[in-house]
Amino acid sequence: MKIIVCVKQVPDTETRIRINPEGNGIVDQDVNWVVSPYDEFAIEEALRIKEAKGGEVVLVSLGPDRAQTALRNGLAMGADSAVHLKDAAFDAADTMGVAKALAAAIKGIGGADLVLTGQQGVGGDHSQVPGLLAGLLDLPQVTMAIKIELGEGKATVTREIEGASEVWETALPAVISAQKGLNEPRYASLKGIMAAKKKAIDVKDAAALGLAAADLAPLTTVASLELPPARPAVRMIDGDPETQARELLRLLHEEAKVI
Amino acid sequence: MAERDVLETDVLVVGGGPAGLAAAIRFKDLLDAHNAKNGGSKLEASVMVVEKAAEFGAHNLSGAVLDPVSLQELCPDFDAKNAPVSTRVTGDRVYFLTENRSFRLPIVPPPLQNHGNRIISLNQLVKWLAGEAEKRGIDLLAGFPGAEVLYEGDRVVGVRTGDKGIDKHGNKKGNFEAGVDVRAKITILAEGARGSLTKSLVPRLGLDKGRHPQVYSIGIKELWEVPKGTLPRGEVIHTAGFPLEEDTFGGGFIYGFTDTLVSIGLVVGLDYKDPLLDPHGLFQRMKQHPLVKPLLEKGTMVRYGARTIGEGGWYSIPRPYADGVMLIGEAAGYLNPARLKGVHLALKTGMQAAETALEALIADDTSAAKLKAFDDRVRSSYVKDELWKTRNFHAAFKNGLWFALPQLGLQEITGGHGLEDPLEPSAGYAEMQTLARYWGGGLGKDSFERPKADGKLTFDRLTDVYNSGTKHDEDQPAHLHVADPNICETRCKEEFGNPCERFCPAAVYEMVPKGDDPKQERLQINFSNCVHCKTCDVMDPYQIITWVTPEGGGGPRYDDL
Repeated sequence: MKIIVCVKQVPDTETRIRINPEGNGIVDQDVNWVVSPYDEFAIEEALRIKEAKGGEVVLVSLGPDRAQTALRNGLAMGADSAVHLKDAAFDAADTMGVAKALAAAIKGIGGADLVLTGQQGVGGDHSQVPGLLAGLLDLPQVTMAIKIELGEGKATVTREIEGASEVWETALPAVISAQKGLNEPRYASLKGIMAAKKKAIDVKDAAALGLAAADLAPLTTVASLELPPARPAVRMIDGDPETQARELLRLLHEEAKVI
Repeated sequence: MAERDVLETDVLVVGGGPAGLAAAIRFKDLLDAHNAKNGGSKLEASVMVVEKAAEFGAHNLSGAVLDPVSLQELCPDFDAKNAPVSTRVTGDRVYFLTENRSFRLPIVPPPLQNHGNRIISLNQLVKWLAGEAEKRGIDLLAGFPGAEVLYEGDRVVGVRTGDKGIDKHGNKKGNFEAGVDVRAKITILAEGARGSLTKSLVPRLGLDKGRHPQVYSIGIKELWEVPKGTLPRGEVIHTAGFPLEEDTFGGGFIYGFTDTLVSIGLVVGLDYKDPLLDPHGLFQRMKQHPLVKPLLEKGTMVRYGARTIGEGGWYSIPRPYADGVMLIGEAAGYLNPARLKGVHLALKTGMQAAETALEALIADDTSAAKLKAFDDRVRSSYVKDELWKTRNFHAAFKNGLWFALPQLGLQEITGGHGLEDPLEPSAGYAEMQTLARYWGGGLGKDSFERPKADGKLTFDRLTDVYNSGTKHDEDQPAHLHVADPNICETRCKEEFGNPCERFCPAAVYEMVPKGDDPKQERLQINFSNCVHCKTCDVMDPYQIITWVTPEGGGGPRYDDL
């Protein structure tokens, strides 16, 4: 079984984000880049399927040079090989451009029995690439997977919905996107990291994927980006329990106006 | 349970700071040179560096003014290779501060003259060194703390890395990953000040026999972004006096790191007497001094960190070798307390250990007798020269600043001898006096009140911790072991007023109400705040706190510090 996992490198959620002077992106400097946590669930699931059923796990990531670190992490966890999509032409690409590049790469390596992604990339949070990818590859899609069971040529996927879960069956190949709860990703072991150093990463540019500048022209652009407003300071209420309760009630009623 | 993985390497370096990376780089360079010369009999040897931080440099913090002497030896073309050491010292000033005034010393004492040196961020330098090591094909493994030394008898045969995936109750999680036994012919401990493996190894092998106890200071640092023109790039300011009482060792530093970044910090000797002393609070007061405040008030604090410093000097350095092991850098105590510098000695001793390691591997003899050559190298180099001249520096402060000054003058003239040689320091924690003794009767821990931070110039601990980028997975056992928490609730509260709440610069230790009786308190350990400075391990008056390595990758994430 050949499983392709799409991996995005994103800023660590602990990073203190600074907006660039143009106001349409973030400052790259001093950012700690990690594998998007949802993509880690996807990698882990792929490895578990491989361990249970045999096969191979191929990672694909689009990004600048630093994206190789994310691929190395996945290889250290146990993936077999990796493809790095790198081209200055990708810099301006929006989610559609990224999906086109990923789809071309997946076709280029002969397709897969299963394509796994995270349900969203932490940071941009669009949740668009999995759907676009399924469309471009003309494959069925199940999102928000918290459990995947593989059968002959099909998969039974439990997906999370608001306050409940539902079970879908899909033919394979399919694009399935991973939600938190699917599994607990493993740590890259010391041996895995040593072994990953010897695994090759195949680098492909836009031309190698058969994509021209027009294919990658963004359909959407970021007009502006703002940091969330600073949270107001915590207010401590003094006094004995009764006074505190009365004051809290008064504040909720008169200031917060929630009751 | 799955079998524990075993990895073999020839040289294992524990700790990827300046000493450890210098050792690895030097070893690889010498090995390549050796093999280029001896085409017929090539030596195959691998070198590996394990580091507890998630990435190299993330746990490294220093002032810092670098004497580039040893960097020059390690990488002669370091400027051409864009080593991040481009800020040359342009001016030296030393002040004595009283609460509201400052007195500039007419001459800069010789150890503090920094002409030719560079103002650096140690964490930037370490990242650069890691890049150099990577280019040489050295195995760098970040996120893997050395948790335990592996012995065969008294011979060190490697290190076991920490387990990952253990929950807060000590149970294995679904993603449990057992630590690996990394077995090495030579293990080089380069953990920095108060390394947890070094701390257990030195007494076990008796390496401290006949040596003085190590004495430490805590260094607390902030990085400030200020408008251009506030402090010239390259300007070095050192202060003595305020906010420290004359019975407390230490002083302040303010460096013009770039045109718009100022490095500022306070060093406080961890042999202070006042149990109510609060190093982090004193640092906040330092920033309010009329000499300092104008440098910061138009700026923003951007980073924070803290680390202990081994200040004991020459007499406190243990025997730095045994069968299969060498101790380098600050793990051993190679730091010049008078010059406030250790980075150049860390690099140098790392290189000296590497030279010794290669010789030993070629001779296929890694016994203590062979590794003694490391100590010989140290003793016949400038490492000993400068440490010998300052061998009684810290001990001279035993009776306070005013007694120290004439002694230091005499030491300067007599090549370090002074009035008495050796002056024996005590273990720092033993200097702390009880509340009753220091303050007389009547004062308890409640008598201590910290001024409120304004959030602009002064900060509380939690704000500062946030700016250290510190993070630990909360679902793991606390990595700060308190042997007997009963002592905290009873004796320590009474005798010392729980000084851990004040000496920890990261708000890890907190006495919280126990049950309904407001007078009863218990110790709560907020281990996820820990910036890995090791102050608690050093200064706890009962010596019941042990700092062990948390899950790999946890800890601060220093940038530009």
